[in-house]
Parts: sequence; structure tokens; C-alpha cells
Amino acid sequence: MLIVALLLIPIAAAAASFLARGRALMERANLAASVATFSVAVALGGRVLASGAISLGNGFFFADSLSALVILLTAAVSLVCSTYSIGYLRDDQNSGALGNDEDGREPLRQLRMYYSLTPLFVFSMLFMAVANNLGVMWVAIEATTLASIFLVTFYGKVTSLEAAWKYAIIGGVGLSMALFGTLVAYYAGHSLAGSEALHGLNWSVLAEHAAQLDKTSMRLAFALILLGYGTKAGLAPMHTWKPDAYSEAPVPSAAILSSAMLNCALYGLIRFYILTSRSLGTEYPSRLLLLFGLLSMGISVPFVLVQKNYRRLLAYHTIDHAGIMVTALGLGGALGSLGLMLHMTFHTIAKSLLFLCAGNVQQHFRTDLFSGIKGSVLRAMPLTGVIFLMAMLAIIGMPPFSLFQSEFLIVRAAFDGGHALTGVLFVLFGTGVFAGALLHVGGMILGPAGDMPVAGPRPWRNGSLLVLAAALVVIGFWVPAPLLELIRGAAQVVSGQ
Amino acid sequence: MLMRPFLTMQLGDRIITLMAALVLVLQIAMVAQRWIVTHIRIFAAQSFFLAIIAATIAWLNHAPHIYVAAALTLVVKVVLVPLLFERLVDRMQIHKEIEPIVNVPLSVLIAGGLTLVGYVVAESFYRPEERGLGHNALAVAISLFLIGFFTIINRRKALTQVLALLSLENGLFLAAISLTYGMPLIVELGVFFDVLVAAMVLGILVYRIRESFESMDVSRLRRLRG
Repeated sequence: MLIVALLLIPIAAAAASFLARGRALMERANLAASVATFSVAVALGGRVLASGAISLGNGFFFADSLSALVILLTAAVSLVCSTYSIGYLRDDQNSGALGNDEDGREPLRQLRMYYSLTPLFVFSMLFMAVANNLGVMWVAIEATTLASIFLVTFYGKVTSLEAAWKYAIIGGVGLSMALFGTLVAYYAGHSLAGSEALHGLNWSVLAEHAAQLDKTSMRLAFALILLGYGTKAGLAPMHTWKPDAYSEAPVPSAAILSSAMLNCALYGLIRFYILTSRSLGTEYPSRLLLLFGLLSMGISVPFVLVQKNYRRLLAYHTIDHAGIMVTALGLGGALGSLGLMLHMTFHTIAKSLLFLCAGNVQQHFRTDLFSGIKGSVLRAMPLTGVIFLMAMLAIIGMPPFSLFQSEFLIVRAAFDGGHALTGVLFVLFGTGVFAGALLHVGGMILGPAGDMPVAGPRPWRNGSLLVLAAALVVIGFWVPAPLLELIRGAAQVVSGQ
Repeated sequence: MLMRPFLTMQLGDRIITLMAALVLVLQIAMVAQRWIVTHIRIFAAQSFFLAIIAATIAWLNHAPHIYVAAALTLVVKVVLVPLLFERLVDRMQIHKEIEPIVNVPLSVLIAGGLTLVGYVVAESFYRPEERGLGHNALAVAISLFLIGFFTIINRRKALTQVLALLSLENGLFLAAISLTYGMPLIVELGVFFDVLVAAMVLGILVYRIRESFESMDVSRLRRLRG
């Protein structure tokens, strides 16, 4: 029942916003839906903790700790972003950023697009996380792309079209590889005894019989899936769409793209990793994952160092973190998997917070370039400045923040598992990103006093920032026991131990 | 599984091989083609032959869910998507593709090379003991995939890239029916739905790019760097 509710709520919100004739109704529908989705996600997590994996509809839906964690994170991000976007879009409307605003009417067409596509986007992510059938999972991931293309073109600028085009074509090609991989995995399992056509693609069935899967086919399937879902996660060298899409989309959408959708792409990859490692052993998938993970971390370093645009900086940062998580998956084992799941949780909080801060800065200073910000963010908007700096310190792995712990775990997993080179490179690239990010963002926030007016009150946006920032600080010292239990459970699903 | 008599089987195999060959020829024709409307029609024809392959397989193996896939191919890829795109071309008044990045004779040569690669890859899936479709159809499927991939890189017009993406998806469809007699029906339905939505979304995007750039030459999309 929970799963059905989880899927129906966003759909209802999308329909309500599509039919609504005023902004107020759209805002309320979205806010109510995201609160409801979040509560259902929490309840689902509780259910999974209490009674183990649940399945529904003859095995069509399936949720274990891994799905529950991804769902919880997605719902949390969507909740924060939907409160934030109320203030954000009102500001955009008042400043005329939404375009044709003659005779003072609301730019309903654009608002409708935003408020009905965002719940659909969230819906497809949730659907992906509860789909048991790997083919259906692919359909849902493709749907996330389709739902978010017009969010990227939201401002209708020339550059947004370019970003959307790259996103659509690179994503489309990548996902067709993932579909091919899914197909090959189906082929690998379709001669299994007892797997009828309908259930032959069900993850739970394949995972049970993983040892009997055709090994050659699984090799090919995993390589294709890594390329496919890796494109969606923005792993190098398929990352080129990412900085563009993240810097052109409205800030709340960019926050969802960079945290929740990244998790979803990784979730797809993890599901196949589990199948492959149970069928072929961990060595083959590990080697590929480490290669792509380290490459992504390495490639983001120079771009972070020379970056002129702070939203693109955050995007390259996400590429770096996608690399970190894929490396953690490649290291595998109990330690690597735990590091991965912790990192996924912490990164989701910190990265969405960073994007929301960037949104505040962009709306106040009307630029997304470092050089365009005359004066210090800290003086013009003290709250945003403090939180921005704090989140930045957190995400580059400064103790006492939580990401330090997860990255430390991953490095330990590397050295413990005999991947000394991986460990050394991990630390090296981490240092590069650390330096670049601190340099740019520190300069922007702590710069000299400028002549920008102090920002007025912005309850919706700053409220969202404060909640996320509080979560980020608290979670560095104390992870609530049920959440930790869920994270451990998810890590167990990944490592199988 | 209930089987048809041997002679019918052989006839069926021949039909499939013939159709697969036609599909491949059309894919290579797309590489060489420069008129956009013709390109759309070639795509429609290719999808039509795919639908015949699917129907033949459904008939040979008594697999009703493949009939559904065949019918959907007919509706979505032979009728709806080409109609949509032809209307788009009419509205945009762009008919001819500019020179591809690699010139046409060389492109065709590369497409031929990719077909060879397709055959080599398909070989590794060939299990003589299993009564499969023969590896011809699979080889064609993989070639379609690779050539589609190449066309996306090679062409500069937005609409041509979308068509190449769709023909790549045709390759996947062919691979699905030749490897495993299609995906489960629910997946098949989902994929068709996604293809249809993707065609519409990309169509709108192409139109908006055309409006803003006065061109749909995507090599002009060069503002975002670094």
C-alpha cells in the first residue's frame, strides 16, 4: 500500500498543477505532495527496517533497504526543493526572469511547466527505486530524462537550449546502451529453469539465481550498463552534459538533478553490480568501476581549479563525487559498501544545500560568475554566506562534517583491500578539488566589502536552507539510529555480507 | 514450445533474413542520405520491415506478445513518429542536410566496417545447439546500433540526430526479438511509450532550437564550455 501511495501522490500533484489556474494552488499542491511523499517514504523505511524487503503486485514492486534509502533521500530532497522553489519562483517572477510579463499577469505557462514536471520527475525517480523488473527500471530512468529536459530549458535562453540538447542526446545514447545491457542481462538469465518470461527480468529472481547466469553475457551486460547508467550519473568521459544542464536549469531542479537523480543512476548501476558480482565475482566489475571512478575524480580536478562560474563549479564537484561513489562501489566489501551508502546520504544533503545557496547568491547578485560578484556574499547575505561556506567545507571533506567520515572509510577500504594506488590517487584528487573549491568559494564569500545592498528577508528559501544546514551539522555527529540501520542494511544488500 | 513444421520454419527464417538484410540496407542508405524528408521515410520503411520480422517471429513461435510489439512498431514508428517529424520539417522549412562531418563515400565505407564488427560481435552469442534465429538478425541489430551511433556523431542537423537515435533504438528492438523473442510485454510497452514521448520532446526541442538559432545545425551550439 505504501508503495502505491508513494507513486500516486506525485502524479496527483502533477495533475493538480497542470489543471490549476493560479500560482497559489500549484504551490500548495506541490508542497502538500512533497510533505506527503516524505512521510510515506519515512513510513516505508520503517516498514523495511521492521520486516525486511517488501514486494507487491506479484513481485512487480520490490523494496529492500537499498531502495528505501534511495527513496528516502529522493523524497527529502524533493521536500526541501519544493519549499525552496516557492520563494525562488516568486523572486523570478518579480524580477521578470520568467520573461513576458506584460500587463502584470502571472507567467502561468512557465509556472505550470515547472510545477507539473517536477512532481513527474520525482515520480519517475521513485518508480525506478521500487521497480523490480530491470526493464521497467530502465523505462523509469529514461522517464527521468524526459521529464527533466524541459526543466533545463525553463528559462528559454539560447544556452539553456544548448544544454538541454546535449542532455537529451548524450543521455539518450547512454540510456540506449543501458537498454542493450538490460537486454543482454535478460538473455543471460532467460534460459534459467523456472524463470518465466514475465519474471525473467525481475531483479530479485535474477539475484537469487545469479550463479547460473551466462557468464559471457553478464560481462557484456555489465560493461554496457556501466556506460549507460554511468552516462546518466555523469561519469567521465560521458560527463559533458552535466555542467551545462546543472548551470542552466532553475536552481531547485539543478539541486534535484545533482543529488537525487545522481543517486538514482547509481542505484541502477548498483543493482547490476550486485548481479554481476554474484555471477562473476567482484574482480571484473571492480576493475571497470575503479577505472571510471578514478577517471571522473581526476577529470574534475583541473576544471574545478580554473572554474569561473560557481554553478559549473558545483557541477564538476558532483562529477567528482559520482567518481568517489563509483570508486567506493568498485572497492566493494563491507567497508566500501558502507562508505558508499554513507557518502550517498551525506552527499545528497550537502550538494542540494550547496545548489540552494548558489541559487540565493545568483538571485541576489544576478550573475553566476565569480567575477560578477562585487563584494562579499557574507556581508550582503549573512545567512546564505555562512551556510554556503559551511556546506562547501563539508563537501570537500573537512572534519568534523560527515563527508570526512565517509571518504575516510572509503580510503580505508582502499588500503585494506590492497588497492594502494586507488587510495593514493583518491587522496591526491581529493586534495586538488579541495584546493580549487576552497580557493574560489572562499574568495567569493569572504571577499572585500562591496556596495551590494543587504538582502531582504526570504522566508521560504532561507527556511529550507536552515533545515538542510541543521541536518548537515547534526548528521556529522549523530546519525539517527533508524537511518544508520537503513544505511547499514543497504550496504549489506550491496556487499551481500 | 509448439513449433511449426520444418518447411514453414525454413520459409520463416528466409523471410526474417531477407527483411533483416533490407533493414540493414536502409540503415546504410540513411548514412548516405541528405534530404531530410527522405531520411524520415527511410526510417519509416525500416521500422515497417522490423514490424514484419516481429510478426513473422510471433507467428513461428506462437508468441502473442510479439504481435503486440509488431503492432506497436507499426503504429508508433511507421505512422506516428514519421508523421510528427514530417509536419515539423514542413513548419521549419529545412529540407536538406548540410555536408556531414565525414563525407558521404567515406561514411558509407565506415558503415560497412561497422557491419563487419556487428557480425563479429554477434558470433560470440551464437549457440548452434539452441534453435535460435541464426545470428544474422542479431548481427544486423548490432550493426544498426553501431551505425546509428556513428550517424549521431557524424551529422550536424538536430533532426537527423534524433532519427539516428531512433534507428539505434530499432537496432535494440531487433536485438531484443532475435536474442530473447522480445522483452516481457510490460517492458516492451514502457519502451514504446518512452520512444513516443522522446520523439515528441525532442521534436519540440528541435523546433525551439531552430527558432532561436535560425538553424538546427547543432555544431553552432558552442556557447557552453569548460
